[in-house]
Amino acid sequence: MSPPVNAGPQTGTGTPPGNVNGQAIAITVFSTVKRWGVPWLKALVFNEPKLLPQTLLWLQKLSFIHFARWTLVTELPHNGAPQPRQKLRHPHLYFESNFNGGWEEYIDAFSYVLGPGMTAFWGSSYGFPGPVPTAPFKAYIQTSDLTLVASHFYAAYPESTVTMIEQSLELDGYLDELRAKVDKLSPDEFVEAFDALLAKGQRCF
Amino acid sequence: MTKTDDARPAVTADGTPIELADIQGDILRAYGNAYDCTTYVWIGLTGGPQAGRDLVARLAEEVTSAAPWGGGKPTHHVNVAVTADGLRALGVRPHVIDSFSHEFRQGMKDRAERLGDVGRNDPEHWTTCFTDGSAHLLVTVNALTPKRLDEALARLRSVITETHGHTIVDEQAAKMLPGSREHFGYADGFAQPAIEGVSEEKTRGGGVPQSSGRWRPLALGEFILGYPDEDTRDDRERRLPSAPDAPLGRNGTYMVWRRLEQDVARFRRTVSAAAERYECGDEAKLRAKIVGRWDDGAPLSHYPDAPPEDTFDGRIPGANDFRFLDDDVLGAKCPIGAHVRRTNPRDALGWDGALSFRHRIIRRGMPYGPELPKRATQDDGQERGLVFACFNASISRQFEAIQVQWVTDGNVFGLGHDSDFLMGGEPGSGRSMVIQGECPFYLAPQDPFVSTRGGAYLFVPGLDALRALGVGHVS
Repeated sequence: MSPPVNAGPQTGTGTPPGNVNGQAIAITVFSTVKRWGVPWLKALVFNEPKLLPQTLLWLQKLSFIHFARWTLVTELPHNGAPQPRQKLRHPHLYFESNFNGGWEEYIDAFSYVLGPGMTAFWGSSYGFPGPVPTAPFKAYIQTSDLTLVASHFYAAYPESTVTMIEQSLELDGYLDELRAKVDKLSPDEFVEAFDALLAKGQRCF
Repeated sequence: MTKTDDARPAVTADGTPIELADIQGDILRAYGNAYDCTTYVWIGLTGGPQAGRDLVARLAEEVTSAAPWGGGKPTHHVNVAVTADGLRALGVRPHVIDSFSHEFRQGMKDRAERLGDVGRNDPEHWTTCFTDGSAHLLVTVNALTPKRLDEALARLRSVITETHGHTIVDEQAAKMLPGSREHFGYADGFAQPAIEGVSEEKTRGGGVPQSSGRWRPLALGEFILGYPDEDTRDDRERRLPSAPDAPLGRNGTYMVWRRLEQDVARFRRTVSAAAERYECGDEAKLRAKIVGRWDDGAPLSHYPDAPPEDTFDGRIPGANDFRFLDDDVLGAKCPIGAHVRRTNPRDALGWDGALSFRHRIIRRGMPYGPELPKRATQDDGQERGLVFACFNASISRQFEAIQVQWVTDGNVFGLGHDSDFLMGGEPGSGRSMVIQGECPFYLAPQDPFVSTRGGAYLFVPGLDALRALGVGHVS
């Protein structure tokens, strides 16, 4: 893991060092699903994501959450012989997400902003205490046998968050516009165009 | 002004009585501007655990509680807080100490990197007692006059002598500057959290912003241990937030104390040089843009173009009732990186304050050192700054989240790694600032104006808990 250009804040409270790379923090949770949870998750959550439109929309709007993914695991991955095929006695819910910022703030967002959605995903898992109060929920996520340490975790832009990359791409677009016309501008026109770029791109710096 | 002489019994939202007589004073309500002579006395318990307990027992007799005073204003107040090293020095049993929060037990020095206390803020530049484990007790004395302060300090010293073997390891006098200003020249201390059953008159602007346009006060447990907090207020099982073992957890709270040296001359030079390029206003306006309030405290959100003609009075209901998303999403009035918008974002992070309402603190700061003469732009070699003191039920969730996520880094506001232009640390951490508007103005990265010179995490026990520490009930 190369040291980031600018480490930014240390934010991974409760996060094993292996799950942090630059600004990105990985979280992986493996929980055991009750029998009734399988049809519930398959029918309502995975096959009909439109039933959770608010949660999914809000998840996308929370820019510090890079992505979040829930997978239903019913058997262990099979890598060929001599490994026997192994179906799990109980299905498991595999959750993985990357985010930046603080671990506590990340879970707080799940509790306070996405609470009902979290119940839809985890409500059928053993031991799920509900999204609020957030203290037992955090303890549930943090329980060592549920939270996995990543054996490999890579960030392409360790110094940047998703917000920063999006801002840079937006600014790059404005710069392209200026570049395309810069040869035709008089010095005065250039000053005007450059000021316009600064005004347009002020949220990108 | 304090309202501690208000005689109504205080209760939380669910009717639980607030045990004001067991909570130390100056936490829930400030003693008030009349008490502008303060000294922070740091004591090392070098005489052994029993002598330490004797001292705590004596101090417990002197401590001012949050109960209504009755009668006139006392001439002075004494309050006591203890570090984790202090608990160990008092012989408190290890399993009791383990019931305190992780960050408190670890201490501020060992969390320096996380807090941005690196480079010139590194603990190697701190007063030794904050790095060698010898700062055990903090006794804060607030008095009406310098004479009363001296009397109280003399009494404190005699108590320290009589209980044998203790050492005063640091003493910091502090005094509000004329006009309730801090050294950079700003009036300070307007935005404090509104607490249910305690300070509901501050709810508009001090509570949690609601989508209805209203505000609601915060639960007491955000600031005092032993009561429901924002997380548990509606819990059907009526669980309480985690707290140290009884009797220590009840009516106590955590305290953060930091000595922040201010380079006033550098700040003045920087702002006045930048103001020459600033086309949208004068130096006073640029100063206001950096902080989000004019020098007298009037918020830019209410007075975007000029300060009010009469001096701003933050006590008038509604004086602090402003939000950022209503009509200032882009920061044209109050810049997105302005100090007050970063440290208390109100609704700025969206979601009806859901991402900020658990990160509030009660601040009780006080300037120290002589004022740099007006208009002076060269340093006079005198040390001056601010003693930053705050109270919260969780140092990591409240103080540290503000310091780490909002002051030291700017990503959550879309400001990249920019730290707070006023408070931020090392240059090279990208501490620049954009002042948004039709013609945005860019403040270039600067050397810091503020340097950490010491600090500690403390626990402020309730009075019963303090007495229990004194008689060794938890030792």
